[in-house]
Amino acid sequence: MEKVLIAGISGGIGRLLARRLLADVEVCGVDSLPWESGPAEIPRYQVDLRKREFEDVFRKERPTAVVHLGSRRDFRGDAGRRHDLNVRGTQKLLEHCARYEVRKVVVISSGTVYGAQPENPFFMDEDHPLSGSRDYPEIRDLVEVDTLASGFLWKAPQVHTAVLRPVHVLGRFARSMMGDYLRLDRQPTLMGFDPVMQFIHEEDLVEAIVRSLELGLSGVYNVTGPGEVPLHTAIRETGGEAFALPEQLMRPAMRRLFGWKVVPWPAGALDYIKYPVTLSGRRFVEASGFRPLFGLEECFRGIRG
Amino acid sequence: MAGNNDGLLGALGDLIGAVVPLSVRELESEISDRMHKIPTALNEFGFDRFGLSPEEARRSLLPSALLYRHYFRVSTEGIERVPGGRVLLISNHAGQLPFDAAMLSTAMLLEAEPPRIARGMGEYWIPQLPFVSTSAHRMGSMVGTPENCTALLEDGECVVVFPEGVRGMNKTFDQRYQLQRFGTGFVRLALATKTPIVPVGIVGSEEQQPGIANLASLGRLLGMPALPITLGFPWLGPLGLLPMPVKYWIGFGEPITLEGSGDEEDAEVGRFVDLVRAGIETQLEHGRSQREGIFSG
Repeated sequence: MEKVLIAGISGGIGRLLARRLLADVEVCGVDSLPWESGPAEIPRYQVDLRKREFEDVFRKERPTAVVHLGSRRDFRGDAGRRHDLNVRGTQKLLEHCARYEVRKVVVISSGTVYGAQPENPFFMDEDHPLSGSRDYPEIRDLVEVDTLASGFLWKAPQVHTAVLRPVHVLGRFARSMMGDYLRLDRQPTLMGFDPVMQFIHEEDLVEAIVRSLELGLSGVYNVTGPGEVPLHTAIRETGGEAFALPEQLMRPAMRRLFGWKVVPWPAGALDYIKYPVTLSGRRFVEASGFRPLFGLEECFRGIRG
Repeated sequence: MAGNNDGLLGALGDLIGAVVPLSVRELESEISDRMHKIPTALNEFGFDRFGLSPEEARRSLLPSALLYRHYFRVSTEGIERVPGGRVLLISNHAGQLPFDAAMLSTAMLLEAEPPRIARGMGEYWIPQLPFVSTSAHRMGSMVGTPENCTALLEDGECVVVFPEGVRGMNKTFDQRYQLQRFGTGFVRLALATKTPIVPVGIVGSEEQQPGIANLASLGRLLGMPALPITLGFPWLGPLGLLPMPVKYWIGFGEPITLEGSGDEEDAEVGRFVDLVRAGIETQLEHGRSQREGIFSG
């Protein structure tokens, strides 16, 4: 029987995935934070991915599949520590997978790794360069995690490795940059900009992970949801209220406020509400037959829980 | 709708709509009717997947339609030759500011059956301009990358390409009706996606704003692809940007279907480019030969 180890099991997607998998397979999980009310039949370990105890989980549980949801994405706290945690944590996870004969690995990256740039074409495919850190150095570790995972495809060809790059994930439990932004009471926007955005419901992302596991997919895949709408439509539909400020004012203000830790996002994040970053999910659909169950309206309705 | 982000054109459209007479109201409802007949697929929020919004484009199109009917008094010939489904409109480009692009897309909306949204392929700096960027997206235009063009054609859309680019738009008056060097990318895209090409000749734009010089290097310093010096600009300030009320004529040639894969050598692609170029020249000659004067016809 398959045994799935979920790294980052205490996060929103981790919990949803654990419950979804539990009906069919054995599940265990690690996280740096506890999941206090979690089901008793799921062994959970509170460990740091970089430490020896994490390797011991592999020896003890002998997972046949690993899902990596364990990257830290929030920018508060020390940037160097976060970089080390994400990059070295992922490196260790992949090493353990190779050593302990894990057969399937799914790494959850993000569509933000492509970067928000004026020359972006619509619906970028997986071969598009990962320029995310060009104007947004704070996400360099996330780009590196993606690169490590993609490199694992040829380093460990015996393992079925799927790297998923979902569009903005929305839902009651999932945390994402765009979800947190849309949950604000009022959303600052850049005057004169209203880029088209793509969203996917958290349950659909879980379904995409399950499909990747079931099929043992190998490769890098964008995962897209039900469609595209401009930013201001998303803000309106999620019950927010946009207030537009000139970019010349916003950018220096963000830089200052992030430095003082008043806002949780660096100034580079502004480009994601300035330029469209849209992905083509064709490759994943062809490989897995995945179709999102939740429409845009359901994505928007769910976020304020 | 997201009122604070509709762009300047939308606001201008509203303003005109509020103060003007019945004929304009009629034009407004005509645009609205035609907009309902476009074959583009929209989602539950009224957008296509590239951010086109007929609802918002409708308001932005009123100023353009007024220019079309009353200022440039555009006439067209052969618009019925534009086939349904995916098609590339390849046209000459002139006049310092892209009124020719606006008039061509207005023609496709007001005169073609069924009405089509002519998708513009813009320069890389357009997405960086506030309001302009939003208006362009709502009207169905976007950065002119090969990926975007291919995606639009695969959706069965009508894409406009000006292969002369700024070389054509910002040329000087003595070069009017002399087609500048063509980019070749559009032919490769047409071959790869099996898209018919309709050569389009636009008469009028070449005289609307006589250029005296183009200080391109100074323009680049200012972040613009060109810096035209014309009779009116920069001497009269922004007013100097207004084009003269020339008479526009837009001619559509027979569709050209090219056979190939898109991986042909440059020389072979060059022959296809010349074929399209000749098609545009035929239209331009025909249009110029039948007009009475620059301002009438």
